[in-house]
This record gives sequence, structure tokens and C-alpha cells, in this order.
Amino acid sequence: MSELGIGLAYGAATLLVMFSGMPIAFALGTVAVAFMYLFMPASSLDTVAQNVYEEMASITLLSIPLFILKGSAIGRSRAGKDLYSAIHAWLHKVPGGLGIANVFACALFAAMAGSSPATCSAIGSAGIPEMRRRGYSPGFAAGIIAAGGTLGILLPPSIVMILYAVAAEQSLGRLFLAGIGPGLLMVLLFAGYAVVRARKEYRQALEIYQQGGPKSAYLDEEHFSLAQKVEMLPRVLPFLLLLLGVMVALYGGLATPSETAGLGGLLALGLVALVYGLWRPRDLAPILAGTLKESTMLMLIIGMSLLYSYVMSHLHISQGAAQWIVGMQLSKWVLLAVVLLMVIVLGFFLPPVSIILMTAPIILPPLKAAGFDLIWFGVVMTIVMEMGLIHPPVGLNIFVIKNVAPDIPLKDVIWGVMPFVALMFLAVLLLCLFPGIATLLPTLVMGAK
Amino acid sequence: MSHGTDTGPGLAAPALRAKNPLVAALQRGVQAVNALVLRVSMVVLILTSCVLTYSVVTRYFLKSATDWQDEVSVFLLVGATFMTTAHVQSLRGHVGIEALVGLLPAAVNRVRAAVVDCISALFCLFFTWKSWALFFEAWTEGQTTSSSFGAPLWIPYALMTIGMGLLTLQLMLQSLVHLTGGEVRAAADLAKEEK
Repeated sequence: MSELGIGLAYGAATLLVMFSGMPIAFALGTVAVAFMYLFMPASSLDTVAQNVYEEMASITLLSIPLFILKGSAIGRSRAGKDLYSAIHAWLHKVPGGLGIANVFACALFAAMAGSSPATCSAIGSAGIPEMRRRGYSPGFAAGIIAAGGTLGILLPPSIVMILYAVAAEQSLGRLFLAGIGPGLLMVLLFAGYAVVRARKEYRQALEIYQQGGPKSAYLDEEHFSLAQKVEMLPRVLPFLLLLLGVMVALYGGLATPSETAGLGGLLALGLVALVYGLWRPRDLAPILAGTLKESTMLMLIIGMSLLYSYVMSHLHISQGAAQWIVGMQLSKWVLLAVVLLMVIVLGFFLPPVSIILMTAPIILPPLKAAGFDLIWFGVVMTIVMEMGLIHPPVGLNIFVIKNVAPDIPLKDVIWGVMPFVALMFLAVLLLCLFPGIATLLPTLVMGAK
Repeated sequence: MSHGTDTGPGLAAPALRAKNPLVAALQRGVQAVNALVLRVSMVVLILTSCVLTYSVVTRYFLKSATDWQDEVSVFLLVGATFMTTAHVQSLRGHVGIEALVGLLPAAVNRVRAAVVDCISALFCLFFTWKSWALFFEAWTEGQTTSSSFGAPLWIPYALMTIGMGLLTLQLMLQSLVHLTGGEVRAAADLAKEEK
């Protein structure tokens, strides 16, 4: 069979097995082994287990379970609610301050926990009822939290970026730093939209009230004394120090990414024990079991994705596909648009980890040949994959929000997140026009590549 | 699909029991092993964090570099990953694409689930076999890592073999449950949930 035929058969078999509902890890492994049996020397089958072990036994990849442990410890405590309450108290006088407080709380929590669903769940469970109590429309409130949660895979330490760094053979420290500028840009865009939308809803509520209609909670005054504001800080500061400490350890040259993950995990466990009294085995068991469940699932997908990519490369499928893309002689920006469109479509069905590991061998060589900086592209790709977290049909964060606020109709949640999807497109556009948003910080801190 | 920290309960064992008493007994046995492995892996997770933290502390404060911590961490985490994969499968925690599955009629879906579990079990059986071969070779030849620490490679290969073996058993059990009439909610579990 020709290379093209094998490539098409590989793609078709993957789609068939994946859509059968087989777990992604086993599906990728099964397809890879079947094609090894059919098209590779018989001896290659003897290396299956060794291939998976050697790919997984990377200390960078194995920082993932420990970063998940850090997120799980923080996510299962009351830290999210306390963080949200403190920011809300300090920002309540700013117009649209409640919306901004939610965006900021999401960004800070995402940076501490490194997880989108955990951020949505922790901040949303406090933020959505409060926004609705204060008159915010349900869809708007849900949209802020769903979109704010996506910052979890952009701000360091991001599991998606760890995988991208491994797949694209780029510096993880540089990639983490490159995510900070665009992360802050998106925080600003989300917060700006929250202000504009809250003011619009406020004006509508005022108009209705002035015409003799019911008084919306938007029009109620809220007051926090200085003592109340200060009282909230002691519970939040240790976590902010943890966030800062992890960044200093990573970029101050004190620890490697995996050591930072171990240190962060241990410190997070220490903090939830000290601040929230979660130290007994029965308190720690759900944190540790949740971490193992999540990380085992991810690590097995990663191991099998790497086996899948190995077979794809050995059969010259990835090289052939990459050459085909280069041969189309698309202009630089059309090529980028096509690649990003493919990532969006894949995001309908696949989690970001699989998208990165399965597509990297195909899309990165043409992008590199077209002159794109792969660190910059990693950030853009991450933002595009973030969109997959909040747009149908999968939109994981939408379903987390439905869990937190089940009485908000799904239609309202979906319409509520759409403006944020548009803002993410805007962020991608701004990154294309001003790549320095992503590349400046790594260059300043770590020097030019 | 999941993209980060799990927000649901991770410790809970499935409240469903196989209808067939023999399969139900086997299910209880596998669950007991999974529960034990899970508890050991929890300790391993904390231990790995301690090893990596120790490495930072000794290098920064005592100015003495250690050369073993990376390999020990890899062994511990690879071991924990493979050893808990059967537990994750018992919770149906290995995610798949279920976009089209929900559209199928119930009867067709039952057949699909049984076929998927059987194929998954076959793949894992193959992987266990190859892991065993790898372990056996490393054991008999005394293979070690290439670093100065020179850790014996049979350790992670053995953990991989046992973990994948347990996963195969779990998948076979789940296939067996399909073939023997499915599952029912056990009275003891129901009573526990009501409390």
C-alpha cells in the first residue's frame, strides 16, 4: 500500500475506534499496534511496552501528576471561595467590580491550581450565586466563570504547555513565561467586557425602575468596612505567597520544573492543612485519590499518544502529511488559519493533550518552515484550545457550570460564553499583529533564543 | 473529557454489583486489590513530592547535589500511574468520545460497550505480555539506567507489568459483567448512599 493509502487508513481507523466510545488511551494504543502488525517489521511489536515506558519516563512529563496534586489540594479546599470573597470586598466600589472580581479570582485561582474545571467549580460556586443575587443576568454570570476558568491552561503551570514543550522540543520555562502576557491580555479583555456588560445591565435595571418597574438588585448599595476587608486577607495571602514562591523557584533558577511541581504539591498540602485544617487521612484521601484518577487518565493518554505518534512517524505518515501541507504553498497566514481551524475542529471531540501529541509531528514542521516562532505558536494554539473548553459540542467548562448552577438553562450558558469566545479570537488576532505580547517576557527574562 | 484537576469524587468505588454471584465475588476481590493499590499510590505521590523537595533543599541550602532523585521520582510516578490504572478503569475514568454513543439505541449500545471492553482488554493483555517480556529481559540481564545512579530497570518494568495485568483483569471483568446480564445496585451500597 502507498504511504498516502496507509496514512488515510490510519486516520480512518483512528476515527472509527475513537467514535466507538473506546477510551482514548486504549483506542490510540490499539490503532498503533494494529498498524505495527500490518505494516511494520514483526520485531517492532516487541518494542511496544518499551516505547511507551521510555516516552513516559521523562521527568518533565512526570511533573504533571504533581502539578495536578497542587491544583487538587487547593481546589478541594475553601481557598477559591475565600479568594473570590476577598477580591470582591476590595473591588466592590469599582463599576462592574463584581464581574472584575470574578475574572481576577479565576485568573489567580487558575494560576495556583492550573486547572480549568477546578477553577470554574471553585470560583463559580461562590461567584455565580453572588452575581445573580446582585442582579447579573444568569448567562452573563455563567459566561464570566466559564471563560475565566479557561485561563487555567494558559497561565503557568499549565499541563497543556508542558505537553506542548515536550512535543515541540521547546523550553518549558520560556513557554510558561510566554503564556503570562497573553494571559494578562485576556484577563484585561474579559474584565473590560464584564464592566461594559454590567454597566449596560445596570442602565437597563435603572430605566425599568424609573418607569415604575421592580427594583433590581443591581441598584442596591453594598458596603464593606475596612476591618471586614482586612479580615479576609490572612486566608488568601498564604496561597498568593505559594503562587509567588513557585514562580520564584522556577525562574530564580532554584528548581527545575519537576522539582517546582513537587515543592508546589507539598506546599499546597501544607497550606490547606494549616489554613483549613485538612490534614487527617480522611481529609487528604479525596485530594490524593482525585489527583491519581486525573493524572493516571492523562498519563496513559500521553503514553499511548506518543506510541501513536511513533508509529505515524515510522510509517512516514506525519512526514508525508507535513510535506503535503508545505507542497500546497499556502501563504504564511493562510497556513496558520488552516492549522488553527483544524485545532478548533479537533477540539470538538478531543482533549487538548491528545490534540497536541497527535498533531504536533504534522503541523509543527510546516509552521517552522513558514517562519513561525514555535513558542509563540504554542501560546496561540493553547488559546485556540481554550475555546474548545467553552464552545459546544464538548465545552467541558459549560458542563462544569451546569453542575455548579443547574437552574441556569444550557442555552443561556452557551449564549453567555459566546462573547468570550469572540474575545479569545480577538486575543489571537492581537497576538498575530503583536507577537511581542507573548515573546517579549521570555526574551527579557531568559534572553533571545 | 477532562483537562485538569478532577472535580468529582476520586475515592468512591462503583456502587454497582454484577448480577451473577460468581462475577460479583470476583468484582469484590478486584475492587479490594484496587483499593489497596490506591492507598499505597497515595503515599507514593506524597513521597515523590518529598523526594523532589529534598533535592531542592539539599542543593540550595546544603550546596550538595543529589543524582538519584529524578530517577527515583520517575520510578515512583510511573509505578503509581500504571498501578492505579485499573482503579481508574473501575470508575470508568479513562475518558472516551461519547458524542455518537448517546445516539445509539440502548440494546445496540450494550453490544457496543461489550465489544469495546473486549477489544480494550485484548490490547491491554498484549501490552501486559510485552511488559512482562521487558521485565524478564531486564531481570535476567541485570539492566540498569545509564546514569551514575544505575537503578535497576526491572523495578519500573515490573510495576508496569503488574499494573497493566490488573487493568486487563478489570477490563475482562467488565466484559464479563456485560456478558452475564449486567449490574444491579447492591443493597449494602444503596443503604450506605441513603445514610
